[in-house]
Amino acid sequence: MKFAPLVLKHLRKNWIRTLSTIMAMAVCIFLFCTLHTVVDAIEFGLHSGNAGRLVTRHYVSMVFTLPLTYKQRVAAVPGVENTVIQCWFGGVYRDPKNFFANFAVEPEPFLQVFPEFILPPEQKEKWLNDVRGAIVGRKLAQRFGWRVGDVVPLESTIPPYRIGHPFEMVIDGIYDTDERKYPGTDLNSLYFHYKYLYEAIKGRSYAGIGWLTVKIANPQDAGKISKAIDAEFENSDTPTKTETEQAFLAGFVAMAGNLALLLNGIGLAVAFTILLVTANTMSIAVRERQQEIAVLKTLGFSSVLVMSLIISEALLIGIAGGLLGLLLSKGLLGVLPNVPVLGDIVGTYPNFGLSPQTAGLGMGFALLLGLAAGFFPAMTGYRSRIAEALRQI
Amino acid sequence: MATTEVAVKTGAVSVQNVVKVYQRDSQQIKVLDGLSLDVPQGEFLALMGPSGSGKTTLLNLIAGIDRATSGSVSVAGTNLTPLSEGELAKWRSQNVGFIFQFYNLIPVLNAVENVELPLLLSHLSKKERRERALTALRIVGLADRSKHYPRQLSGGQEQRVAIARAIVTDPAVLVADEPTGDLDSKSAEEILELMQTFNKEFGKTIVMVTHDPRAAAVAHTQRHLEKGVLTA
Repeated sequence: MKFAPLVLKHLRKNWIRTLSTIMAMAVCIFLFCTLHTVVDAIEFGLHSGNAGRLVTRHYVSMVFTLPLTYKQRVAAVPGVENTVIQCWFGGVYRDPKNFFANFAVEPEPFLQVFPEFILPPEQKEKWLNDVRGAIVGRKLAQRFGWRVGDVVPLESTIPPYRIGHPFEMVIDGIYDTDERKYPGTDLNSLYFHYKYLYEAIKGRSYAGIGWLTVKIANPQDAGKISKAIDAEFENSDTPTKTETEQAFLAGFVAMAGNLALLLNGIGLAVAFTILLVTANTMSIAVRERQQEIAVLKTLGFSSVLVMSLIISEALLIGIAGGLLGLLLSKGLLGVLPNVPVLGDIVGTYPNFGLSPQTAGLGMGFALLLGLAAGFFPAMTGYRSRIAEALRQI
Repeated sequence: MATTEVAVKTGAVSVQNVVKVYQRDSQQIKVLDGLSLDVPQGEFLALMGPSGSGKTTLLNLIAGIDRATSGSVSVAGTNLTPLSEGELAKWRSQNVGFIFQFYNLIPVLNAVENVELPLLLSHLSKKERRERALTALRIVGLADRSKHYPRQLSGGQEQRVAIARAIVTDPAVLVADEPTGDLDSKSAEEILELMQTFNKEFGKTIVMVTHDPRAAAVAHTQRHLEKGVLTA
């Protein structure tokens, strides 16, 4: 601690250089933490599927629907416990900016197959008996200030589901979840009666099955049951593809893998650049002080002590830059869910924000960068020979 | 050998058969060639000679900031030859004070902090360190400039701060490399007076390298170096 003033005064001496190095480090940690959080959110979404659920969809794409009769045939496959029809409705609430996921589902089997969606009993009862009823996640309700009983107009962007005016849905319930038991449950979606959709477009178009979510008795039989379901429709006009819910989600965000790779790549490139910049700045600072280092050594400062002082300077820059980077990242991640369009995308990921783990990782990374940047200049200080350095004075 | 032992006991400087060779690319340059020198305790010695004669190299060996290629150097009761780098650094912090031609104060530290610098390596408390540093500044007549930074001081004042830094640990030996070389005559006189005071009143052994005959005249003894050997 008695050497702290010496270290701090050196940092203060060329404060513009110190500040710019801290800023560079801060940008690096800011990017690292922000990208890490976004990548984490994407990966979390990919792994939040339930192993006990399968998804059966059209073999070619989800764009094509399945015939309604498939529900009974899938339900008859050995090992299948329950099935629920789901359709992506693509509804827009007043303005396209107000994006959120909304689906037409069969309420009763839906709540059986998805026990993570928890509704108060009276709301559940009301929804099951109200064809125009819908349930919304707690976060979605908070976002738009919706309450039970509110009427929500939703107009689909999918041509077969467009009926010339918005679908009017009554919010019968606001669902929540048990975070400990079902971590990562999406609380930003709306679910309404499939029957409402089917009846509304009847005569104009045909509402098939978007996909079937299939609950199976034993998750270990997932492969066998998937094959059995697909075999059932193998030679039909509408073949199917059945996969686990996790694989389905992964396919849903197939681009996410590449996105994660891209974001990680950007993060690494920036970090490496900052490392070079910081190391170069530290080297210049140490080179400028070769004679001073020689004087310190003449006074009796050991090579190890001189090395420690230089590394301390680099670590202090790392700490300051790290803390600033964390603050910036926390600020942006806090604001991001409220930004139009972008906020709708990240808002669909659960618990979005700077986690203590990511913050810890960011700080650790900042210290590591500081250490790496300070190491070579410190070695220069360690190795410098007093007589040679003094001769240059 | 008897001379060396006596020198070690009395805490002065004993340089015996020292050879110093520098390697410049493929060339070997012999700077000191079998030099021997004994400096009794309390001596004020001026080393003179032309540039490149090996004066500063000899001074560096005595101060323990360079090592002889062969031969032995004993200072203040310690044979420096077998000491490791770390041991040598610790020895320097306790036994030798170095005065440079260009003062070499740390620009980011004020006068009292510069003087306090060698004491950071001791076990003294912050308060004790500060008191000792102020005392050293008082001795060199700069107590009123303790908060001034090197850039706010004149050359003579800077050198006096450097002297205060050299004596603050109360070393047995002071080595000075052209201490008046960068000063006007008045400031040079003041510095030489100070060095005389440390020699006479505080019994410090002083080894000073100088080109200046007026500075050398202040010393008790003058020795001349030429091409790595003592000629007089």
